[in-house]
Amino acid sequence: MSASDNKNCPYVNIHQKISIIFDGKKYSAFKGDTIASALLRNNVRLIARSFKYHRPRGIYTCGIEEPNGIVQILSEHNEPNTRATVKQIYDGMEIDSQNRWPSLKFDIGSINNLLSPIFSAGFYYKTFMGPKGFWKRIYEPLIRKTAGLGKPPKEFRSKSTHQNHNVDVVIVGAGLSGLIATRKLIDTEHEVLLIEQDSFLGGVLKNSYKVKKINGQKINIWLKETEELIKNAKNIKILKNSLVTSYNFTNHLIALEDKFAGKKINSNKSELTLHKIRTAHTILANGHIERFISFRNNDLPGVMLASSFEKYIHRYGVIPEINPVIFTNNSTTISLLKSLINLGHKPAAYIDARNETEIENELLEYLEKNNIPFYKDAEVEGCDGNKEVQSISIRNNKNEIIKVNSSMLCVSGGINPDIHLFTQSKGLVKWDNNLLTFKPDVPFQNTITLGSVSGNYNYEKTNEEISNKLSFLKAKIEDIKIEINDINNFNIKELWETQHEKKSNWSKSFIDLHNDVTTKDLKQAIAEGFDRIEHLKRFTTNSMGTDQGKISSINSLGIVSKLLNKNISEVGTTTYRPPYAPLSFSAIAGRSTYEFYDPQRKTPIHNWHIKKRAVFEDVGQWRRPWYFKKNEAETMHQAVQRESKQTRETAGILDGSTLGKIEIKGKDALEFMNLMYTNPFTKMKPMTSRYALMLGEDGMIKDDGIVCKISDTHFISTTTSSGAPKVLADMEEYLQTEWPHLQVYVNSTTEQFTTFNISGPKSREIMSKVFSDVDFSNEKFPFMTFKIFNYMDTEVRIMRASFTGEIGYEIYISPKHSLALWEKIFDYGRDFNLVPYGTEAMHLLRAEKGYVVIGQETDGTVTPIDINFSWMIGKKKKDFIGKRSLTRSDTAREDRKQLVGIIPLDKSQFIEEGQHVVECKTLPRMIKTPVPYLGHITSSYHSPNLNHCISMALIKGGNKLMGTKLFVSTPNGTKNIPVEVVNPVFIDPENKRLVS
Amino acid sequence: MTTVLSLEGVHIVQKSFQQVIIRGDGKEQFNQMINKELSITPPSKNLEITLSDKFLFAKHSFNQWSLCYLKEQSYKDVLKFISNINSRDEILASDYSYGQIYFEVSGINRNEFLNKLTHFDLRTKKFPDFTLAQTIIARIDCSIYNLKDKYIITCNRSFEDYFKERLKDTAEIY
Repeated sequence: MSASDNKNCPYVNIHQKISIIFDGKKYSAFKGDTIASALLRNNVRLIARSFKYHRPRGIYTCGIEEPNGIVQILSEHNEPNTRATVKQIYDGMEIDSQNRWPSLKFDIGSINNLLSPIFSAGFYYKTFMGPKGFWKRIYEPLIRKTAGLGKPPKEFRSKSTHQNHNVDVVIVGAGLSGLIATRKLIDTEHEVLLIEQDSFLGGVLKNSYKVKKINGQKINIWLKETEELIKNAKNIKILKNSLVTSYNFTNHLIALEDKFAGKKINSNKSELTLHKIRTAHTILANGHIERFISFRNNDLPGVMLASSFEKYIHRYGVIPEINPVIFTNNSTTISLLKSLINLGHKPAAYIDARNETEIENELLEYLEKNNIPFYKDAEVEGCDGNKEVQSISIRNNKNEIIKVNSSMLCVSGGINPDIHLFTQSKGLVKWDNNLLTFKPDVPFQNTITLGSVSGNYNYEKTNEEISNKLSFLKAKIEDIKIEINDINNFNIKELWETQHEKKSNWSKSFIDLHNDVTTKDLKQAIAEGFDRIEHLKRFTTNSMGTDQGKISSINSLGIVSKLLNKNISEVGTTTYRPPYAPLSFSAIAGRSTYEFYDPQRKTPIHNWHIKKRAVFEDVGQWRRPWYFKKNEAETMHQAVQRESKQTRETAGILDGSTLGKIEIKGKDALEFMNLMYTNPFTKMKPMTSRYALMLGEDGMIKDDGIVCKISDTHFISTTTSSGAPKVLADMEEYLQTEWPHLQVYVNSTTEQFTTFNISGPKSREIMSKVFSDVDFSNEKFPFMTFKIFNYMDTEVRIMRASFTGEIGYEIYISPKHSLALWEKIFDYGRDFNLVPYGTEAMHLLRAEKGYVVIGQETDGTVTPIDINFSWMIGKKKKDFIGKRSLTRSDTAREDRKQLVGIIPLDKSQFIEEGQHVVECKTLPRMIKTPVPYLGHITSSYHSPNLNHCISMALIKGGNKLMGTKLFVSTPNGTKNIPVEVVNPVFIDPENKRLVS
Repeated sequence: MTTVLSLEGVHIVQKSFQQVIIRGDGKEQFNQMINKELSITPPSKNLEITLSDKFLFAKHSFNQWSLCYLKEQSYKDVLKFISNINSRDEILASDYSYGQIYFEVSGINRNEFLNKLTHFDLRTKKFPDFTLAQTIIARIDCSIYNLKDKYIITCNRSFEDYFKERLKDTAEIY
């Protein structure tokens, strides 16, 4: 007994032979085959090993619901956990089975099956509780090592893309219902997206023999005509090879398209497309899933769902076994029977659990006419064989066990509407006592279910159902007459598990093949008190993981309801979780990986920095020069020390373009600025600037910057680089919500101005050379003033300000003119030893001067008072954001953490940022009780100008601890560094250099 | 004008426009002031575009407009216009001539192409001709001006390299 080809199948190309390699062995197959159909064609039954017990497993289904046939595609960068039943093959595809060692036939892991009597439900929960310490050191590492299926993929760079769609109607599934619905929407006002997971449209029409004719036409002719009509319709788009995996809120669906279905991947092109679909209406026409029946050894390779067997015949042109045994409890298997007979084959036996009065006359006559061994009111007790089915034990209606030899057993335990997507959309389902399944009841979103997913198993009534349900869309009225080969009145007998003889401890009756859960596990869970379905699911792992119990969840409800003596509707159902089928992280990430992981912002001077060997750091999304390497050998430390020293000795220039800039204007601009910032601006003279502080309503420092006052009605503010969008948004929010009476407008001008910060003793001379018309003397251009003047056909704003403590200027110019100006400054600056410096030197220089950085010295819990910025608070101001909070008892108390300077007593020692400031000389080796700590180091650098480490710290009551000796912890070891608390201004506390 | 990419049904060129961001109340005085300077009336409806030979005038929100010069002006004239407008307290005009980059996207497949980078509904019934949208494209803030047979897409200048790379990458694996 073996497989045979159905040469009439139009969906595989029997004239195009290709080959695949499975577990190192070459097999020939046809173009259009899946891995599963190709292996079945070659009589390969053993495909995989099960998850927990490593039991031999074969192909069970013919679709995405496959629980067993999960393989690893070696030729696709080791892609693991691929369902063999949907993955189409191409010539030379290399596939390996997984979860076995050393080979599929001889798997050491199958020892788990021998030990299975002790691996019952809850084994892990009960076993790994003790002894203390074992979990961390032994159990967890061991379980992690053995857990999981397949090997991780090889390193590769996915080119998965995303595609967004906005449509009026999405139709999921291009089977009979989906196609009729689509036909009715041709040339209507609706934009329609039809999604089909297969390469061909047709669903049940191409998968089975159930439908005979449509409108008097043969099925293939009707399908061809329909596809042409749909293709030519301007309002309809078809997505093939695309599986809808998620149905999210507000009619948002996710579908995954395999761009290379049946083809070798071209690594230059996108292999997967993740479709993100937003729609007004969703039509679910995604059909049904057949379920199995639990019996002894119902997992042996050779046991297959009946409709899947039929699909292999019609869709893939392979008859997996010419004389299988059919076991059913319902009326749907007649079409499989007819399919086999039509091809000249005969089942070895037909077992129907129903009694004669329940079985359709048509079926009885057909069985008799074809002389097929028939067992009514009977069931399969179990099956036996070495790594595949060899004999099937039938319990007849006289309770006798009869053995039939066959290598395949086709099982049908009924059909379930495929409600996974419907329940993902939060639709409610209800139990149908006639169909013995849950079916959609009340949709939560704009969802319409059609055909078998709605519980309509009568194909003849499909057109009527669709016409009624789609009438509100003003769908076309088209009479579609469907003739069937099937029985039009679905009939089923309740049967979840058959009665079996206990043959051995290793014979199992499975309820969840994917997770290796047996019916015994369900019984045990209930016996232990897990009688709620959600608890039971988690205790046994039944219906969990990527499978979500597609072929078994209803069966488990059936068994549980019997055990609890309840109706299934009372037991309820578990929630089907998205995604419907697994999708890779690369598909989710799309192109937002590697170079596109995070959008990058560059300043207009970026390319110049590259030429000068800048090493960049990420500041928000900005790429900022961190430091400039003088030569390849220079280290970061050397570069930063050099840049800092040279800036203090001659001059340095920083690309500060990333600073936020906001223009504020309106008749109430002065009042607005007084409210937004702590500083008073009323008496501030026009064309002067001021370092300003912005607080949150909690009184904590939020941002800082320099405010330039052009007039009482016009200001320009700078912000921190990363704070710019938030500050602008806050300004807008306050204007629109808190102070709508103020006539003020704000514009971000961050991108319109490139900013350079030049500072150092020689900066005035350089500026005088570059801008020869401007008088930079102290008298004409004092500290914290600014000028706006014409330059190179544009306007330049120069402000005298400094973030280094040296005399300095900030230059603002449009990006178009900025590079020319930057280069000109360097041309003139060469004689003065001008050096470009990066953000690290900037931090070092400002720390020497005791200037704070928002986000480094502050962390959202620091007030201006804490960092000795009381002088920045307008005491006479009526109000500003955060004012009230500054007088709260907690913000006003004297023992809050305050900003201080820290220097090591031994000047050769270096203090690390983030370390704790403590009062003890050493830390205990094992910290059993928390060590009292005073605060932490916020900034720390080696000052090239002082030639020792300087640090800033926030410590409790810091202002009163000046001169005190404390200790700072180190990253390694228990010995702390002795330090002295000092004023945080390390260089030029009198500001002589700044205002010189 | 530089061609960024050209493939079947999608053509993208980079253009440069001078631009002014204008804030104001949109009332009669405001309109008169603009009209006096430019001989064009600012659009009154949110997200509406007024197009002339010289200008693309778009209303971004209840009190914000952008003015693009379709024909390059002397930069001094642009700055003079800004200065004149800013002489009134109730208006704020900010020069944004070089703060943004512009891409003209045309071709029958432009929607499908852009929908690889944005979720925005570009269908005419949701995004009518001569309106603008402020949305995310390739994960950055952009404005899209729908000029019937083409779009003008703008984003901040600092994203220029990133944005162009994303466009080219999308074309390569299209």
